[in-house]
Amino acid sequence: MQRRVIVLDPAHGGSDPGAQISDTTSEKDVTLALAFRLRAMLAARGFTVVMTRDSDAPASPAPGGGSLTLDDRAGVANHAHAAACLVLHASSSGDGVHLYRSELDATPAEPIVPPWLTAQAAWIPQSRLLQREIAGALMRSGIPLVTGSVSVRPMDSLTCPALIVELAPADEDVDSMNRTGYQQQVARAIAGALLVWEGQVQAPPQLWVAAAPRTSPAGHSRRTAPHP
Amino acid sequence: MSEGRQPAPRRARPVSPHAGMQKIQRRQRIVFWCLMLCIFAMGLLLAIERHRERQRIEALAEQMPIDAPTAVAKTVTLDLANDQDGSIHPEVRQIALPQAVNARARALIDHLLAAYALPGAAHPLPPGPAVAEVFLLPLPVTGYVADPSWPASSSAEYRTATPVASNDPVALQPQRHGGELAVIDLRNSWVNQHPSGVEVESLTLKSILGTLHRNLPQIEQVRFLVDGQARETLAGHADLLRTYIVRDTTTQTDGDAPEPVHP
Repeated sequence: MQRRVIVLDPAHGGSDPGAQISDTTSEKDVTLALAFRLRAMLAARGFTVVMTRDSDAPASPAPGGGSLTLDDRAGVANHAHAAACLVLHASSSGDGVHLYRSELDATPAEPIVPPWLTAQAAWIPQSRLLQREIAGALMRSGIPLVTGSVSVRPMDSLTCPALIVELAPADEDVDSMNRTGYQQQVARAIAGALLVWEGQVQAPPQLWVAAAPRTSPAGHSRRTAPHP
Repeated sequence: MSEGRQPAPRRARPVSPHAGMQKIQRRQRIVFWCLMLCIFAMGLLLAIERHRERQRIEALAEQMPIDAPTAVAKTVTLDLANDQDGSIHPEVRQIALPQAVNARARALIDHLLAAYALPGAAHPLPPGPAVAEVFLLPLPVTGYVADPSWPASSSAEYRTATPVASNDPVALQPQRHGGELAVIDLRNSWVNQHPSGVEVESLTLKSILGTLHRNLPQIEQVRFLVDGQARETLAGHADLLRTYIVRDTTTQTDGDAPEPVHP
């Protein structure tokens, strides 16, 4: 694991604008702006930042090009072996920052070949610790905070401590999300927490036997499509 | 006696044979066209009102349970979401529910989502019919294969079918005997108007799952369809392809909340 590497995934982009924040602002623009600020803050603290996109419409790294899919983003993040993977979103509902980890139940160890749809399961304890670290930093900065767990792709396929950071308005004004000062405040708090996190992160133990069939109520089962 | 001079008889002025008629015709024409305009306007108004009323009745019919509700209203608990703090809290309501479990599930979801369509709701969602149908499948989900020993030409009534369990190693298993999978078929028209965002979409799904968990314990798992088709996300974020476990969503007992911080 590269302790000084952080992955930033500004969600959406290109033909996928994400949520319409206001008449003139799309989610993809807010996430990219926040990612640039966070990258600058992290670079100033000595981190190497890997971004899944640094323009509006990134091309897929896969042969043949095309637009970047959610699986492509997870692939970029997993190849970085990062100490933290932050998926950036933005929403006009609520206020402050919404900080989420994957809804998967934790597994004690990571199989040699983790299942793609539940690869995050072994990293859940680390993701939970990272969530607490960043949540504490945001609360100390006086930013309203909501934490929880959600099921949003491609979080469940990430093999790193992974969180969704959803930026919401600072106050009643929806356009407050675009304020430089507000985004700087959020980015500074997150970058500070990641500096502490660098000394705490640990990779999960490897499981050297085949993974047992899941009986936990937390798994995905995309292939068990019902036929109503 | 002198005869008085008789006044000369008035000579009739030459009048155009159509002059009077033209004057009357103009008035009549004006009245006629005014009446026609009124008739047309009233007809148009009636048509619009009829269309509106039909839409209203159709919307009401969509929101009604399929089965006739029981005579006595039952106490149910709805898990209501709040966008401001990302919380879900239970609220007790009295509503009439049909007997069939799938119709009851649909009625519960309809009541829940109707509460979000009210003005001032803490988790505002678009009004209108949201659920097309709820299907229930016994767990574990099985398929059927025809007995290969019977020739293909045999009629269907003599051919036997054998249930086959899924060989998916990560398939979710039922928690107890009699557990069911609910397949909730949402309407595309409602989904397309759902607000977009990680929090708002997740709260909608958790609210539905929590409400089903409280009122219909036999439902253990839930999958979502949109107009009968699988769809990746609700409105760009929350995953609609996975199978969700029905559980209590009001309390966070897994340590999500950060440790208390004193600035």
